[in-house]
Amino acid sequence: MKARWKGKGSEAKAIADPMSKIVSQLQSSLIHSKTHGLLSSCSVLVEVNAELADLLNRACFGRPRITAEKDKEWFQLDMEEAFYLCFSLKCLKVVGEDGCIKSNEELWEYMKSKKAVFPVFYRAYSYLRHKNWVVRSGLQYGVDFVAYRHHPALVHSEYAVLVLSEGDNDLNGRLRVWSDVHGTVRLCGSVAKTLLIVNVNNNSHGAISPSCLEHYTVEERTITRWNPEQCREDQAVLRI
Amino acid sequence: MAEVVEKKGKMWVTMGMVRSGKTYCFIEETLFLIEIGALHLSDENGICLSLKEVYEKLSDESGCYWELFEVYRHLKSLGYIVGRHGIAWSVKGLKIKTGTCSLQGGEERNELLEMEPKGTSSIIDLFDNMQINEVSPAFDVYLPNSRFRKSSPGDPSFSLYLSRGNPPSKVEIEALERKQGAIPLKFCHVENGRVSFFSFDRVELAVLP
Repeated sequence: MKARWKGKGSEAKAIADPMSKIVSQLQSSLIHSKTHGLLSSCSVLVEVNAELADLLNRACFGRPRITAEKDKEWFQLDMEEAFYLCFSLKCLKVVGEDGCIKSNEELWEYMKSKKAVFPVFYRAYSYLRHKNWVVRSGLQYGVDFVAYRHHPALVHSEYAVLVLSEGDNDLNGRLRVWSDVHGTVRLCGSVAKTLLIVNVNNNSHGAISPSCLEHYTVEERTITRWNPEQCREDQAVLRI
Repeated sequence: MAEVVEKKGKMWVTMGMVRSGKTYCFIEETLFLIEIGALHLSDENGICLSLKEVYEKLSDESGCYWELFEVYRHLKSLGYIVGRHGIAWSVKGLKIKTGTCSLQGGEERNELLEMEPKGTSSIIDLFDNMQINEVSPAFDVYLPNSRFRKSSPGDPSFSLYLSRGNPPSKVEIEALERKQGAIPLKFCHVENGRVSFFSFDRVELAVLP
């Protein structure tokens, strides 16, 4: 599927403002401001000034919380987003209810305890983010993530992502039966997205600490439905 | 497997397998033609079998013939050309090279080498060994093509694997892909008489700017 840009000029805007640069600016700004996040159940809350708020919005990390406060804005980050800023980009620190800064290992343990699939989900999230795709929750589409080529205001998301891991280790439990394949592919099609499977293999390294992540390998596959009724013309350029 | 005794019509351009001037049909081709009233099937005594008797012959609790037949019929009715995976349409002009066919098992090599079979019964024996198994694709599918020739069919548009039970695992897909070479692979699934087709293609999302 090709990128579907929203309106005229969106593609040009995206080209002029590459996501890698926006994320890089966010990273610098967070480091410079020594921003700390607050751990709260499955979210991390950050209080930011206008400049950081703008960068968070443009880089698509977190969701703004509407509050009555005038000078500061609050953002709520998902676990993968927060961990990416802490561990991969090293630009955020997270504080627990005791007021102490959590180490990456402590955060990792905490997030695993909230979500057993966190290690493989994080690997998939960071894999796609690292390639400068915008990755957001895919819950409303019944998938794990949705991936956008740039900011959602400029482009429709192309991929609906499911994260699978090897065999019995797979805690996500998706696509084990044909009805799930049918249903998921159909849903993706009806929202004009391609189903992308991100297979994460931990290569028997377990998930004791975030350093295990570097041993996880990732492979991508798409699952698409082929309709024989539509493909009968003998065309050289037929995308079968 | 049925041996064609008398042929009429253009359907034989894209159906049946030719060996030493004789044409043989696989069971799904046979049943397809009988269902559309284009073929009479006789037993060894020359007595014509009814459709009911043919369905009974196909009834196979352990095998997957009915599902394979549904897939075959679905594609054939839409005009596709469907052959059994890895079985040559004709051995005319085929060079015997170990590299040409991506097959497993020795039956096919024996068949290719035996260009002059000793008798009909030995062909039947060889073909009986060409069962569709669970570890390779069932069919090779070609797009509808009025210029199709069994003597040089070219590469199929894709090979088709019939998935039963659950969707294929990553390991299973990879094993099948390794044997496929450049020819695309598709998976089909039959449930409640409906045939659906899926591709599970490897991709790599671009690194964006």
